[in-house]
Formats: sequence, C-alpha cells, structure tokens
Amino acid sequence: MLIMMRKLTLAAVCAIAMLPVSPSQAQQASEVQVTYSNGQFQPSEVRAPADKPITVRVKNLDAKAMEFESKSLRVEKVVAANSEGVINVRALKPGRYEFYDDFNEKARGALIVQ
Amino acid sequence: MRARRQYGRPHSIALCAVACLLGWCGAARAEDASSWKDIETKYIFGFTTGSGIGLEGEKEFTVDSIGRFGKRDGHYAATETKYEFEFTPSQFIQIEFGALGSAHHIGGVTDLDDRRQVAVSGAFAELRYLAIERTSSNPLAVTLAVEPTVRLIDETSGARVRNYEFETTVNADIELLKNRLFAGFNLLYEPEVTWTALGDTQREAKFGGSAALSLRIASNIVVGGEVWYLRHYDSAALTAFTGDAVMLGPTLYIQFTPKMFMTAAWNTQVWGREIGNPVSLNLAEFQRNRAKLKFAVEF
Repeated sequence: MLIMMRKLTLAAVCAIAMLPVSPSQAQQASEVQVTYSNGQFQPSEVRAPADKPITVRVKNLDAKAMEFESKSLRVEKVVAANSEGVINVRALKPGRYEFYDDFNEKARGALIVQ
Repeated sequence: MRARRQYGRPHSIALCAVACLLGWCGAARAEDASSWKDIETKYIFGFTTGSGIGLEGEKEFTVDSIGRFGKRDGHYAATETKYEFEFTPSQFIQIEFGALGSAHHIGGVTDLDDRRQVAVSGAFAELRYLAIERTSSNPLAVTLAVEPTVRLIDETSGARVRNYEFETTVNADIELLKNRLFAGFNLLYEPEVTWTALGDTQREAKFGGSAALSLRIASNIVVGGEVWYLRHYDSAALTAFTGDAVMLGPTLYIQFTPKMFMTAAWNTQVWGREIGNPVSLNLAEFQRNRAKLKFAVEF
C-alpha cells in the first residue's frame, strides 16, 4: 500500500510536471500598455487578440505604489511609484477580463480579448 | 482508522441553511453586483473546495481547523488543524504544504480509548491544477488536486500510528449569476493505510462527492449550503464497502480586507448506514457533526 501511494504521488507529480503550466512561452506575445495616474487606469479598456499570450505593461505615474490585480487573468503585481510593471498573461479565450488596483477600490479597467 | 459499531439515536438538523439562503436572495438583489470585483471561488463553499487556484505570484498563510463531534455514545471531540503555506507559481498551478496539529477529547466512546491530548500530528502537501478555466463565455471551471498526507496521530482515535493518505479530488464550480450565485461540486477519492502501535495494518478508503450553492449577499460576504455523500471502504480498491453517510449544512465566507478572509462551515449527518448494523446514521466511520473554520492572510 505504501509503495502504491509512493507510486501514485510520483505519477501525480510527473503528470502535473507535463501539464502546460506556462503556454505563454511558446508563442510571440502581443503587448498592451496601460497608464495609471490620479488613481485611474488610462485607457480603462484595452484590447488584445485571442489565443495569443499577452504582455501587459503598467506604467504607474502616481507618487504611490499600486497593485495591478485581476482574478480572471489570475495575476497580481505591485508597481512602485513612478515605475513600470510587466505582467505576462497566458493565451486567452475571447471575453472581457476585468482588472483593478487592489489598493484603490475605484480604479477599474478591462482587457477585451477578441 | 475508524471506530467500531456504536449505538444511540439518530440526529438530523440543518435544512434551515436552505431557508436562510432563500431569504437572503431577496435582500441581496437590491445591491448591484455588477460593480463588485470578481471573487476567488476556492473557499466560498465550506468543506466543498472551489476551482480557484489564486493569482500568479500570490502567497498565503492559512490556519484551517476541522472539528469532528459526536459518536454513538460518550463524549467525542477531535480537531485537526492545518498550518499551511500556499503559493501560485503559474496561472495554472497552486502548491500548498504545511504541518498538522490535532486535539482529542474522548470519553466513554465504545471502541475508543478515553483521551485528552494535543499534539503535532503530521504533515501534508497539495498540488492543484486548473484544467478548465472560467471565461466570460464559459461559466464552468475545474481544478484537479492531489494531497498526500502523513500522520503520526490517528485522526479519529488520537492513538499513535503511522498513517499515509492520498486524497484526490476534482473541484468544479459554475457561476450561475455573474458575481452573485455560484454552484460547487467535488468528487473525492481518499485511500489510506495505517500501521497501529500494535503492528496491525488497516487499509481503507473514502469515496464520495458534494454539491454546494453559495450566494454573494454583499461584495465581501458569501453564504450558502452544501451536501456531501460519503462512502467508506475497508480497502483502497473500493471493494469492501462498510457504510455511507450524508452530511448537510450551511457555509459562510467573509472577506475582511482585500488580503484577509475567513471561511466557516457546519455539517450534520442527516442520513447514514453501517453495513451489518441496523442503526440509523453511520457513526462508526463518520461523525455526527463536523465544523470548519479557516483564516487566511495573503501577501
């Protein structure tokens, strides 16, 4: 039984190791840029093509840090004041993916994938 | 390791959770859910685990306690607490690991020794893989998870043992109403082997599934109910069926701050049977009630 459990654990680890954990490395990414200033995203909606990895560049022009976060994109990144953060996102299906500043309830935006 | 047959009368409550849920539905409609942020579904269904795997780069420390209360006779209370670190290294995988602590307060229960003890009881790790992701056109998400666990203290009796468990689950959920109403489903297979201090070897397995419904009544509060059907076998291959049970109860999730939340759940056994023992409820392999309380801090 113990041997069986060890084999099961090993099989599970191997199976997961072979899964596509980072498909974004396989293709050329398309890039979108968002600026954050006065507590707002500019533009509040950005567009990107479907089924292609995406690089989101977030330029924080404010004098304090912000946290770019999105549950549907499954990413979060703290971007320091007056600096730029780069977020790599997997290839996405068409749809609307909302993002926000986790430090500021009012700052919202969306990535429209078509 | 399970307790042997015990006797007593059945106990059933917890349908009030459904009534509460329906009552809250009306009140919740008044708030506009479209302005709410998306919610992580992993912890909103109580004992049922949602498909969420967190955000890439996110780390979390969690204290997760499960209490089991009530056998056929005497006094029975046992808890197991996970002190857990979890992180999400990619947009598809989540990894968790940590230590287990247990507490047992047992007195006058047939086939269990009286015991009052608190102990560090083992360790565990979990790997979760998001197999189907939710999009704006697909409300279903599915995650596959495996969780090997080693215990030096038996979960049920509190006795010194060597126990190896390999929990395998499918965690699925559907967003029924955008940002508002979610249904969760789990499928569970949990084989384990235990060596007792006397040198006996016990092989067993649990198999079952759950369904849960959760309603977001405010941007930071989710309430719901869940039902579990669990079967117990005296073999890992599911060949020696010994009994089954249905557990039912309410669930609660509260997000205190963007980085801190808690989840709580209570399940009561509303139906059960022990093969070869014509009593109601299955209190040999399962407990009368179980509770879950979890606090988490993300960083």
